[in-house]
Amino acid sequence: MRRKVLLAAALAATAAAWAGCGGGGSPLPINPPPPVVNNTVPVQVTLGPTGNYVNGLFVTVTICAPGTAQCDTIPNVLVDTGSFGLRILASQTTLNYPQINDSNGNPLGNCGTFADSFVWGPVAAADVILGNEKASSVPIQLIGQGAINGNANFPPPPAACTNSGLPPNDTVQSLGANGILGIGVFRHDCGAGCAPGGASPIPPVYFSCPSTGCTATYVDLADQLQNPVWLFPQDNNGVMVNLPSIPAQGDTTSAGTLTFGIDTQSDNGLGTAQVFTVDSNGEMTTTFKTTTVPSVIDTGSNLLFFLDSATTGLPLCSSNNAFYCPTSTVNLSATNIGAAKETGTVNFSVGDAETLFNSGNAAFNDVGGPSAGSFDWGMPFFFGRKVFFAINTLQTPVGPGPYFAY
Amino acid sequence: MKKFGMQAVALLLLACAAGLPAWAVLGQPVQSVEADRAHLKGQIRLIQRQGYSVQRIAAADGGIVREFVSPDGIVFGVAWSGPAAPDLHQLLGAYFSAFQKAARQTQTLRRRRGPLAVQVDGLVVEVGGHMRAYHGRAYVENLIPSNVNQAVVQ
Repeated sequence: MRRKVLLAAALAATAAAWAGCGGGGSPLPINPPPPVVNNTVPVQVTLGPTGNYVNGLFVTVTICAPGTAQCDTIPNVLVDTGSFGLRILASQTTLNYPQINDSNGNPLGNCGTFADSFVWGPVAAADVILGNEKASSVPIQLIGQGAINGNANFPPPPAACTNSGLPPNDTVQSLGANGILGIGVFRHDCGAGCAPGGASPIPPVYFSCPSTGCTATYVDLADQLQNPVWLFPQDNNGVMVNLPSIPAQGDTTSAGTLTFGIDTQSDNGLGTAQVFTVDSNGEMTTTFKTTTVPSVIDTGSNLLFFLDSATTGLPLCSSNNAFYCPTSTVNLSATNIGAAKETGTVNFSVGDAETLFNSGNAAFNDVGGPSAGSFDWGMPFFFGRKVFFAINTLQTPVGPGPYFAY
Repeated sequence: MKKFGMQAVALLLLACAAGLPAWAVLGQPVQSVEADRAHLKGQIRLIQRQGYSVQRIAAADGGIVREFVSPDGIVFGVAWSGPAAPDLHQLLGAYFSAFQKAARQTQTLRRRRGPLAVQVDGLVVEVGGHMRAYHGRAYVENLIPSNVNQAVVQ
């Protein structure tokens, strides 16, 4: 409800601004185009705040107490097109952000589960600013527990959250970042399954957290963590990640841009990019040799994670079986297949991860590791490309999201 | 007799409430699959394969859990996919703490963010996917029937 009021106010303000621009006596435009704002923020691939991250794509995010000019500027937030919603380590904030409560007045907790870790903490409201784009009063997660910035003591994660068996990422050291900016192809981190009348049993994502402890609960879509991009007043139908090419031995760092909107301004047109529609899981499929598996394109995955050693013929590293270590760099190809049967071949390379990591470089376009039964086009895919992510149901010139395009 | 029956029911309810059946499926007799089905509010379909069988649970939330059972009735592998993060405390049973400990150790150096594979004392666990679509599998090497390949667990 509050959001609708805000939206109406924003629209009224836009209309008023246009009336002002028009000069005396000229009629109001019927459909005023959205204001042109700077829709691009710089992103960097660095070793991150811990100095040991590889292929981490980082951005600076400003969050503000809603409706105020009191803000925290948070550098080194991981850009993640494989998740949805903004999560910031509470320890990196200085302000008291209003907690979002359930219908009984108890604080809401969020359990964000990633492939290899989880983050736990309260849901709070903040204005989210990226460059000149601003989303107002967005539910975000403050990662952490205990008393922070004057907020009440927040309970530890309940068993339903820790039963994934995955380790918590609740410090800069364990997360390798100050937060995660989830800007993939969906609007909410959970969606209808976590909303009233949703999945049974209640998904282990949202929890009602009186001081006695937390229990799983359903939460209205409006109070779930939101991909902040779709809440921008303009340039809100998706994002584009643009990184330059880098050499095969890697680079000490790399710098590019994160642009908001798809074909909403002169700088974010699809151009010759090919669209790959994704299914309700946010996935397409990829065929490697004769094996076809579900696949994603994901800045939050730092390497190319695909299939297994037996299928790829790539040996694992002797010191660490989480990476591929071919004796010399291998050139490979795979075919992406969209949910609407769009197809396209991708050529890529995989080198010796151990040797490459030992260079001390932060950016690599040719490091991979196994992921049985799936294909995860992580950060190496992005160098030398413009990659678009269109948000579910939002319109673009080639049709609504969700889709990837590159 | 009737009173005893009531007590048994009460005990059973108490045991359920306390989580005493302890799920425990991987490495346990095939009967334990029922605990998973109940937990997932799902429906089971039995599939016979050469040298093993598969108990396929279709969970109420759209997720799928497959439990791989040897001819002598032991669950040697489990695979899952669905919109919710897996409850590995339930699916891995007695192997859960070994997985949890090993998963923690993989992060001592943050060289990798993505799908996770853990191998410890013959237990293999591979977890992957992303928010709103998780998948993975686990098996115990020395429980796999001699004429079956681990690749069937998927």
